[in-house]
Amino acid sequence: MSVQIVLFDGFDPLDVIAPFEVFVAGSEYFLDNALDITLVSAEGARDVVSGSQGLRLRATAALDPHRPGIVLVPGASGPVDGDPDEGAETIPVLLARFAATGAIPLIANAMRDPDVLVTAVCGGSLALAMGGLCEGRNVVTHTLGMPLLEATGATAGSARVGDAGALVAAGGVSSGLALALSLLDRHFGPRIAHAVEELFEYEGRGTAWRAVGKAPATVPEAPTP
Amino acid sequence: MNPICGDWRLQMKTPIGTIEADYHFEEHDGVVTGTANGAGEAVALTDLVTGDTPDGQHAAWRQQITRPLRLNLEYDVSITGDTLTGESRAGRLPRTRVTGRRITA
Repeated sequence: MSVQIVLFDGFDPLDVIAPFEVFVAGSEYFLDNALDITLVSAEGARDVVSGSQGLRLRATAALDPHRPGIVLVPGASGPVDGDPDEGAETIPVLLARFAATGAIPLIANAMRDPDVLVTAVCGGSLALAMGGLCEGRNVVTHTLGMPLLEATGATAGSARVGDAGALVAAGGVSSGLALALSLLDRHFGPRIAHAVEELFEYEGRGTAWRAVGKAPATVPEAPTP
Repeated sequence: MNPICGDWRLQMKTPIGTIEADYHFEEHDGVVTGTANGAGEAVALTDLVTGDTPDGQHAAWRQQITRPLRLNLEYDVSITGDTLTGESRAGRLPRTRVTGRRITA
């Protein structure tokens, strides 16, 4: 099965590498190379510059929205504060720029394909939401992105991993590990995910949120400051 | 005729910077309607209300845009002659400033 991780200008390196390492370890150590893990971009093979100190990774192919398996969309890294009108390339600016590329129609096709699971880490889901792909969906993103995510017509949740059917989204930065571990569990079972956890000396934390089962009778609310 | 009727060019601050859009308002049988044109997209305004207040003519509306990004926006503006000032808000993000001026064909 294939795992395509989508690079775009300004991506967050850890959002790419954390799940990449989890998938690679799962595949090479425990699954007899069952996964074909590639870095891709909407534009095809190219060097892609991240948002962290110009660190580059190479996309080796174009994103194929109908390749059976997983498509993973990372978030962006860059300044949180700053005025875009004065040229600040803030994270929302980078995500919106990505959301205006040909990646969005490709990912929309992938979301409609029952053989493809679209997933996102950190601001990745916010970029998809900016591109209109999260309308009415329960979606998780980095905690700083929640108000903007809600403004796009999505329903923002606070789980570390949120499974909304056609889109599985994870929260900020380190939750990319939790996302990839939960995907190994989902596709290959808990023993594979657990073996990777042992190898990485890291335990995924938090229950993946899904819109099934009973809803909590009451949800405690944070006091207003 | 409601003083908002006609064509306006508005600038509003969003999380990705200031965006500009052209608005057209018209009145039929006392009902004011409006549309916004920006980034190649035409959007009908919803929940449009207008009224006289001590600080001038007021208008508020909602709109859903998909370009340059998908956002739910709320506006609250005051009209003075050929200028318009007020606030817009995306979801529960902080309110930001809106300015506009009347444009003539």
